[in-house]
Amino acid sequence: MFARAPTIVGTIFFTAGILVFLWKAVVLGLPVMPTETEGPWRVELDVTVRGSTRGSVRTALPTTGPGQVIFDETNSSDRLDFNIRTEDDRRLGVWSGRFRGTHRLTYAFRVELAEDLPPQLPASPVAKPPAKLVAEYTRDTPSIPVSAPEARELIAAMNLPPDAPDRTRLIFSFMADEVAESPHGSEDALLTLSAREGRPEGRVRLLVTLLRAAGIPARPVAGLRLASEAPPQRVVWCEAWLADGWVPLALDTDAPGQDPFQTVLLRRDGIALVEGTGVEAVNHRWRALREHLRPSELAAMMVPTNPLLARLSLYRLPVGTQSSLRALLLLPLGALVVSLFRNVIGVPTFGTFMPVLIALALRSTSLGPGLAMVVSVIAIGIAGRLALERLRLLLVPRLSVLLCLVVMAVLALALIGSGTEIHNFLGGVLLPMVILTMLIERISVTLAEEGTRTALTQAAWSTVVSIAAYPIFISTRAEHLMFGFPELLLVVMGLLICIGGYTGYRAMDLFRFRELARDDL
Amino acid sequence: MTIARELRRLGVLGINRRNADYTLRWNERRLYKNVDDKLITKRLCEEAGIPTPRLIAVARHHFELRSLGVEMARRSTFVLKPAGGAMGNGIVVVIGRDGDRFLRPDGRFVTQAGLEHHASSTVSGLYSLGGQTDSAMVEERLIVHPEMAEIASEGVPDIRVVIYRGVPVMAMTRLPTHRSGGRANLHQGAVGAGIDLVSGRIVAAMIDDRGVRRHPDTGKLLIGRTVSDIETIVRIAVAATDCTGLGYVGADVVVDAERGPMLLELNARPGLAVQMANRAGLQPRLDAVDRRLGTDRPLVERVELGRSIATETAATTTRWA
Repeated sequence: MFARAPTIVGTIFFTAGILVFLWKAVVLGLPVMPTETEGPWRVELDVTVRGSTRGSVRTALPTTGPGQVIFDETNSSDRLDFNIRTEDDRRLGVWSGRFRGTHRLTYAFRVELAEDLPPQLPASPVAKPPAKLVAEYTRDTPSIPVSAPEARELIAAMNLPPDAPDRTRLIFSFMADEVAESPHGSEDALLTLSAREGRPEGRVRLLVTLLRAAGIPARPVAGLRLASEAPPQRVVWCEAWLADGWVPLALDTDAPGQDPFQTVLLRRDGIALVEGTGVEAVNHRWRALREHLRPSELAAMMVPTNPLLARLSLYRLPVGTQSSLRALLLLPLGALVVSLFRNVIGVPTFGTFMPVLIALALRSTSLGPGLAMVVSVIAIGIAGRLALERLRLLLVPRLSVLLCLVVMAVLALALIGSGTEIHNFLGGVLLPMVILTMLIERISVTLAEEGTRTALTQAAWSTVVSIAAYPIFISTRAEHLMFGFPELLLVVMGLLICIGGYTGYRAMDLFRFRELARDDL
Repeated sequence: MTIARELRRLGVLGINRRNADYTLRWNERRLYKNVDDKLITKRLCEEAGIPTPRLIAVARHHFELRSLGVEMARRSTFVLKPAGGAMGNGIVVVIGRDGDRFLRPDGRFVTQAGLEHHASSTVSGLYSLGGQTDSAMVEERLIVHPEMAEIASEGVPDIRVVIYRGVPVMAMTRLPTHRSGGRANLHQGAVGAGIDLVSGRIVAAMIDDRGVRRHPDTGKLLIGRTVSDIETIVRIAVAATDCTGLGYVGADVVVDAERGPMLLELNARPGLAVQMANRAGLQPRLDAVDRRLGTDRPLVERVELGRSIATETAATTTRWA
């Protein structure tokens, strides 16, 4: 049933992989399962800066405080000096030195966000804030024009109650109801007030101005909103000192006092996150990735006690590389599914790894809509292929025209479904675009040469294999296991080698020759 | 599981075992071209004096398509096929013409431009195994031997002989049906009828992996009929296989009304349906060849060995028909 040499080699691979895995899991106690609740975020800032004189680039750095714990900070400074300046509760990262051409700077940290709600607006009157704080956070600055007549007049006209929480609530409702958010608006507080619309920055500045004018200490703050499937988004909001603490007031939420979930606070004294002086151009990009481990487990994974393992830990890689590798490491598992289907069950599919690549592409959508999209792209392609048949084009140009059709079909789907899941699908589907084209050609030829029945059978089996492989690609467990314990690749290889030496019947053989067996029964 | 045990007892060969123990082991990769490229097969056969259908024209590159078209335009019957095709894909048979239109066996017409486009796709590699560039070839169309024509409704029936280490182990004739579109391809619904290697008698038959006794189109009883001159057919198959150096081959032989048996093509990954067509497993015969075949046996002796192995194993495994 199993050829001897492959079985021996396969078993060696399998055992080696399992032993390393067990050693790491049992002896070193590394976490085998991801945590049920999602763990900390890893956030990374990439700055590209160009210059030819002395200059500096500054970025706001997060601090550990209410709602967030910052740890594991790293940076790279590419020929410049990096310093962290700390004043009160503000931290500033500064890269400085003589710029020579383009520099790539990075700064990364992990943050654990509190799941509980941030401080809420108190219902009852609050104690007076300390005088020093009042002086600091009610003063007039160029971007927060507290003493501007427009602001003063508005506050006077609002007829505010004496109590600070009630005042805050009224000013917040005024902002929410009367000053709209507009991408074409201004970032300036007074311009936003006169136009009754502004950008998020303008609205937050106006809110802070009005609060200060009403005697409530307030400040604009900025941070990042973290999401699994999208890049981090810079958000700005306001904090007001009420009831012995800072209460967040976010204008994109319904009521004052709510903090947008999964937001990391980066800067407390202003809005800009990355600024440069003495440079010609500065560009930056934030990236974030959600971990599935508790901070302590993560620490064990990143820096295991064994120095060799510490070097080999994939958790130390940059965020971008990590997310690609996570997908990459699942591919062998998909290949295992294909091998089982092909060599043990014996079903015909279009292309060997085609169904698995489709399943991988469906990772970023849900299964049903994703498959529907693939099927519609293929249907459009086959229709196009039939139309092209009459032109009698040469093979390679014909395939290329088909590729254009596939791209157009995907574009059309993107336009029809903008704002839906299709958006996510596009990133994933880029990978098998060429394979989709080849698939259309294969299906068309099979349809013509071997008839609809054969083509439909193969298409059905390909779908079955895709669906069977799909759970692997969306499983956080499989992802955590393969990423944290890459030695499991050896286990997969071992199994594949054993399957490669399987000379027994396939399920399809049994089906095919069932009449022969019946002869003798 | 009972099916698996029963099939194992009958010695039915499965795909995994065929690949691991026979094709991967006995067919060297570098020799595949001898069977995958029909032009090479044809040349090897001609050098060994084995009859094959006459080659009319070949186009190896796109610029040669014009002369191929000229040759086709001159004739009213021929076969256009890819040199590197598999499973009968990409073969166009022309059986007559009406002015500029060529008649295909299924009654459809194809234009000269259609044929040239088909040849162009062929050269581009549409029908070749790995999609690499290929050659298009035009061959004479055979006249089906009356004996075969009597049982097959349309198309050209052939005889597939499975040869292991130069010994013929099993044979069947593949009879096109209306459903198979005149092609001798079992996947598309052609009839496979197992032939006794000694007598040429049809012992069993099948369509789509189910046993039948009659041809579905003509209604004629297949079991008990005899394919004459099976010995020559088997010798041609074995001789052609000897030219290629491969150890596990399916050789396809056709019988022309005038020229007699000719080698059509060879296949390095012969299918397993021959077992269904014969109602017998290949394994006992393959094992017997491994046990009884010495080294460097001449062709005649190997054919004789194959026939006696077939007779012995058939007696113990077949109880049908």
